[in-house]
Amino acid sequence: MRTVILKRLGGALIQVIAITVFAWLLFYVISKFTGANPAQRIAGKSATAQEIAEVARIYGLNKPYWQQYLIFMDHLIHGNFGFSYVQMRPVSQILWPATRATASLVLGAAVIWLCIAAPIGAYGGMHPRSAGDVTGRAIAILGMSIPVFWLAPMISYFFGYEPTQGKILGLPILHQGTTIFPIVGYVDFGQNPVQWAYHLILPWITLAIGFAAVYIRFIRTLTAEQLAEDYTRTAKAKGASTARVLLRHVGRNIAPTVTVLLGADVATALTGVFFVETVFAIPGLGYTGLSAIENLDYPVITGVIILCALIAVLLNTIVDLLHAALDPRLRRITGQ
Amino acid sequence: MTSSMQSIDLDQGSTQGSGQPAGLRATALRRLRRDPVAIFAFSLLVLLVLAALFGGPLAAHLTGHGPNQQFPNALASDSQPLGVMQRTYYPNGTVHNPHGSLFILGADELGRDVLVRVLYGARISLLVATSATAIAVVIGITLGLLAGYLGGWVDAVVNRMTETAMAFPNLLLAVGLAVVVGPGLLNVVIIIALFTWYYPARIVRGTTIATKQMTYVAAARTVGARPRRILLVHLLPQVWGPLLVYATSIIANNIIFEAGLSYLGVGVPPPTASWGQMLSDAVTSGMYQTDITLALAPGLALVLTMLAFNLLGDSLRDALTPGGR
Repeated sequence: MRTVILKRLGGALIQVIAITVFAWLLFYVISKFTGANPAQRIAGKSATAQEIAEVARIYGLNKPYWQQYLIFMDHLIHGNFGFSYVQMRPVSQILWPATRATASLVLGAAVIWLCIAAPIGAYGGMHPRSAGDVTGRAIAILGMSIPVFWLAPMISYFFGYEPTQGKILGLPILHQGTTIFPIVGYVDFGQNPVQWAYHLILPWITLAIGFAAVYIRFIRTLTAEQLAEDYTRTAKAKGASTARVLLRHVGRNIAPTVTVLLGADVATALTGVFFVETVFAIPGLGYTGLSAIENLDYPVITGVIILCALIAVLLNTIVDLLHAALDPRLRRITGQ
Repeated sequence: MTSSMQSIDLDQGSTQGSGQPAGLRATALRRLRRDPVAIFAFSLLVLLVLAALFGGPLAAHLTGHGPNQQFPNALASDSQPLGVMQRTYYPNGTVHNPHGSLFILGADELGRDVLVRVLYGARISLLVATSATAIAVVIGITLGLLAGYLGGWVDAVVNRMTETAMAFPNLLLAVGLAVVVGPGLLNVVIIIALFTWYYPARIVRGTTIATKQMTYVAAARTVGARPRRILLVHLLPQVWGPLLVYATSIIANNIIFEAGLSYLGVGVPPPTASWGQMLSDAVTSGMYQTDITLALAPGLALVLTMLAFNLLGDSLRDALTPGGR
């Protein structure tokens, strides 16, 4: 078990180094070859020569590259993501509330996509090629084919905007100004949990649909695999009900695998938030990152990318370790 | 967009290709011909390619509108664009340019013909996605073959590289790179290839490891075949089957990847018509709320394309799995 943990942590360390080197190369080295001065970029368009020199001194931009990287890492380790000269405040102060909003969005969406996918997938695994299974798989492949950056404006339009114009699907059946679901505005959980959930319903569903489609397929395959095993046949033979077989036996065996997939997908969902947050105006990491791209606010762009990548690595590591703890077989196999 | 990326199940690829009986290709083709879903998906793709090759110029010729041509009189006085099947009029009520007055899918916020732009957008989507996939596959085959055949430290290095690359939120880092190198067609192709090569690399590595243990490879080695010959003549032909299945998924992903980059404003630069760009124009300007066609047209084009690739990929996988589903 100890070797498993050490091996996985070593892997995570390599990933963290790879990410920071990549980000550092991207924003401090490559930009030089494309004709931009990193100090100028960090300080912003309207910076004076004195400000640019000051930035170059803080980041050590006149020193050798390896020292620059160490300074960059030193800042990161101390939670210093730099200073945004566009917003005139430290990047970490911008990132922290954004991370909270994004976490609300992604975690809520994960709950929804599991709730959609588990019953449909389990049914498909139990009754392969039945009408319900074929329908479920058709829905899944359709869901996989809808890009989230199109789904977001569509959901916002048909469930949010159109009702306010007194229409549903173009039919004038509502009063003007009816609000079924809000399409803008974000309420922090700490302020009002009910309003928080109400404002997040449409974004949650938008983000969840693509993942639900993928999970229908995962859970269908996993369930079918487990149901073909001897132990489920034994359970059925001794008279266990279908619900009991599914929950106690199948569910328990596929839970670790689903957990690992979830860890990886919650991390990839961090890219989906770029599109969902901008359409629904949620002040999260994606929204922050995108407006930083528009304003050429390089310290914030760098911060968002590094933070998202680090969150992804962290989640993957935790989930892998959890998997080893949940599944005794894995402990032994990888421990060898 | 990333959700579909997860659907590329790499473990399956590594087990395929091993011990494929002779005649599998014929069996697969026979199965595909009997599969209505495969025929539907294939027809859809043929239509799409035809639309990309000839649809744009044809529509441009018939309507008399270029893809980037702006028609100020396709905008009403409140700068509202023309709707579906509407014609342009001069202020005095006469039809403007009788031949080119009809806008079949309406006009966008700059007075450009939406239908012509959607058709030209198909070109960009397919061009970027297939060329990026081709580059990714070449990199993937090279690294995968070498890692699988040589093993040892080469394999370890390639493995670490793919594992690290897979743990990254791809689109984010691609956006970062695109921000730094700037927009451009070639840049987008290279960036997408840089962030997708590891899918084919893993599949090829798995197949190679399985194949190199087979007797015929050992036989080839005994009669004195050089490593280069073993790699190119004996191992390389075995990777195409599994690779074909995943290439369709990778192309589908790359179409979304390009659209996503263009949507975020770091992809194919305007005024070139691309589906992501058109969607982004409609959404960021808020114009889609007054004229939903602006978002529906490029969006449905994307969904249909993705659907065709996803369905074909599924059918190919089923057809190539020995023993059926």
